[in-house]
Amino acid sequence: MGSLELEGVEKSFADTVALDGVTLSIEEGEFFTLVGPSGCGKTTTLRTIAGLEPPTSGTVRFDGADMTGVPVEERDVGIVFQNYALFPHMTVAENVAYGLKFADPPDGQTSDERVAELLDLVDLPGAGERDPDELSGGQQQRVALARALAPEPEILLLDEPMSALDARLRETLRRQVKTIQSELDVTTVYVTHDQEEALAISDRLAVMNGGRVEQVGTPQAIYERPATEFVASFVGENNLFSGTVTDRDGQAVTVDVGGVEFQVAAERAATGESSTADPPAVGESATFSVRPTALSVGGSTNGFEVVVETGEYLGETTRYYAGWGDRTVVFRTPEPGHEGRVSLGFDPAEARLLV
Amino acid sequence: MDRSGRLLERVGVPLAAVATLGLLVVMFFYPVGTVLAESVRVDGRFSLEIFREILASEFYFGTAAVALSDPAVLVRAFPDYRLGLFGFTAWQALLSTVASVVLGLPGAWILARFEFPGRRTVRSLTALPFVMPTIMVAIGFLATFGREGVVNQVLLAVGLPRLELLGTLQIIVLAHAFYDAPLIARITAAAWEGVDAGMPETARSLGASRLRAFRDVTLPQLLPAILTGALLTFIFSFMSFAIVLALGGLQKATIEVWVFHSVEQLEYGTAAGLAVLEIVFSLALTYAYLQYEARQRASSAARPPARKRLFGRLSADRLAVFAYGAVALVVFVVPIASMVLASLTGPEGFTLRNYAFLVERQAEAYDFQVKPLTAVQNSLLFGVGTLALAVPMGVLLAVVSTRGFRGRKLVDTLAMAPFAVSGVVVGLGLLRGLVFGFEAFGYRFTVSGALAIVGAHAVGAYPFVTRTVAPALAGIDDSMLESARSLGASRTRVLLDVELPIVVPGILAGMAFAFALSIGEFDSTVILATGGSEYTMPVAMNRFRGRRLGPATAMGCVLLAVTAVSFVLIDRLGDGRGLNG
Repeated sequence: MGSLELEGVEKSFADTVALDGVTLSIEEGEFFTLVGPSGCGKTTTLRTIAGLEPPTSGTVRFDGADMTGVPVEERDVGIVFQNYALFPHMTVAENVAYGLKFADPPDGQTSDERVAELLDLVDLPGAGERDPDELSGGQQQRVALARALAPEPEILLLDEPMSALDARLRETLRRQVKTIQSELDVTTVYVTHDQEEALAISDRLAVMNGGRVEQVGTPQAIYERPATEFVASFVGENNLFSGTVTDRDGQAVTVDVGGVEFQVAAERAATGESSTADPPAVGESATFSVRPTALSVGGSTNGFEVVVETGEYLGETTRYYAGWGDRTVVFRTPEPGHEGRVSLGFDPAEARLLV
Repeated sequence: MDRSGRLLERVGVPLAAVATLGLLVVMFFYPVGTVLAESVRVDGRFSLEIFREILASEFYFGTAAVALSDPAVLVRAFPDYRLGLFGFTAWQALLSTVASVVLGLPGAWILARFEFPGRRTVRSLTALPFVMPTIMVAIGFLATFGREGVVNQVLLAVGLPRLELLGTLQIIVLAHAFYDAPLIARITAAAWEGVDAGMPETARSLGASRLRAFRDVTLPQLLPAILTGALLTFIFSFMSFAIVLALGGLQKATIEVWVFHSVEQLEYGTAAGLAVLEIVFSLALTYAYLQYEARQRASSAARPPARKRLFGRLSADRLAVFAYGAVALVVFVVPIASMVLASLTGPEGFTLRNYAFLVERQAEAYDFQVKPLTAVQNSLLFGVGTLALAVPMGVLLAVVSTRGFRGRKLVDTLAMAPFAVSGVVVGLGLLRGLVFGFEAFGYRFTVSGALAIVGAHAVGAYPFVTRTVAPALAGIDDSMLESARSLGASRTRVLLDVELPIVVPGILAGMAFAFALSIGEFDSTVILATGGSEYTMPVAMNRFRGRRLGPATAMGCVLLAVTAVSFVLIDRLGDGRGLNG
């Protein structure tokens, strides 16, 4: 119970295409995140799952059952919105109890017992009699979570639930959400524009852009093996190099970037969930990414010389912006104080060929 | 910073406040006070006789008054109770409230949930009745629903019997709905847009049907707005004068109309007694309204409810919208259109005769007859006079209310008091207190009727000037003023160089407001102009009403034009501030 599939879901509003063929398969009990910049279609995807937005075409299936035409109140989902959407004319307890008017509380509990249990769960015991507007933003969000969970939904949908909160509170709350989610084992779809949050909280994530899914995978796979230029630049910091393939063998591809030849690993991640795709052929153009931390000062492999422009001291590392011809290269090293001409290099295995 | 500037700023603002309050004392508190004094005085001595008579009179309090001395009547007469004047006043106000809510709520639904070309314009227009002269609307209703009105002409043309609506409760209620249904639609639509779309969606995700989610989540958040609007409607309808006078006559008189009638009969004691009882009631209602309104907080939704396109495949809800549109057309547009039509037609067909009549000197008219040109001239003169008084008063009070100083709250409260007292009562007070003269320092002072009329208009208009200017002043960023002062400007210079230029649009909107209110004011003017030659267009329209609807409608059109221009100015320059509520 609680698995979820989207197949070729498209959604267009009057003159814009919001979803351009989204196919996803989410496992029961999984914490699945949709991440991307604003306007990428992640919220529309969530609303389509909820039944708040009928897709223009395509299918949404819960446990294999087609949900087309099933209204939101019959889908057994719990939703938490960014702005909490607590009912201002009801107390906290009345808010949490609202869904129990339409579904019996689990395990033969009374509604009051269930409300108390949920308020304990979100660490707000005894707040039931208070009005929502007496609570802080973080507390309101926990009430919204308790309200969504009270009727034991099959699927929990969280639409940017933390973005109205300050950074520290966000980190505390997301740990709490993750703990509660794994305790209850409820299938969860989480929408965020914050890639760091997406990496921290998810079992798997889908990076979305322009109404399409760019890549699906575990946080580690997405971070370490980005498939597309978009994913490489959206998730974490990256340097992108574009050039022409001049040589190719089993393990490595040589790419000429502005007259300098670089050796990069031939393996290329696929956009879907299969692990690899074919590397580009000789004469084709190619783009690869290298993390700023993978560039080492004085490295001899794939060496090239840059001119440091500015450095930002970040504590554990220092981030340098350096000029290489008319390009800007970012690198990070533990030691501060690099200036002027610096030669950089990187291990071919640290470079990722992109689509 | 120069010393004189500093002195001016420390003393100037409170001084201006005191001066404004002084004017208010002369033009409002003293006159209303004389009404109070007159009501407890018989033959020069303190007495509660007037109240005793009113409270025990079946005419005023119906069966309830009889029950004071004879409780058995409650059983004997059941259920056939007489309402009396006070009961009827409350009853018609209650019916008007119900009608306004019934007519206003579908409007709110359409404004909040549908998208159509001109939606913003329609939304702005819901504030239009607010500045429409009451007597003009009454004339419009006469031109529509009167014996020779448009409705009866249509009925006769298709062979149906004539409808006699004049002097009925229905026509009064309908005219009140013309004023207040748009108000309710406006307030409720604003509340609706403040309910975040996520709320009903959350309710539905928790298992509530669409209707259930509306009932449980949306409706409770609309109720305060609906109640606020209903309470305001009740207050307005309770104190309504011109509409009841023109459409109901003495058969359907309310307290206001009877105060006026008593003044005409020179029964000033009765008029004062009734006026005081009415003030007590209207103050209580206004207090209740303010208490209730203060507890409401305006919410703004992160994601307002989605709007549906109005024009599309025909569906049940779209059909309902069009049906409502037809009703709205009859209630809100036809009365005004009929007035314009009636002004341009005569027995001979299309004519400008009615307008020509307005500018004729009428040299042959007798002294007691109304000269139309005089009415036009008086209206314009009083309008300008009102601007001269109300605009400085309103602006000063706006400045005062955005400054912190001791006693500010008191000033605010006193300054807004005229809201709760009807025009007829203010007129009565000015007539008895100032026009008839008063003694001070051993001399007898009298104020001319014209001056008293300007005073009454200014009292009615300045709160609106304050309401258009104050938000603009308050909206000025502190950092802007701080930079100006850091550059060396005194507080006074900042006011002149920074604040006033920013609020000039607000002031212009306030001027438009004051002018429109003055030129359309009827309630106090009709009392102060009784027997004199200081009549204005609304007063003249009232005198023409029975005999010559043509000139009345032509004057109505002039008022309509002034109102419309003012409204556009208020809406554009003042962002519609002061029109809300």
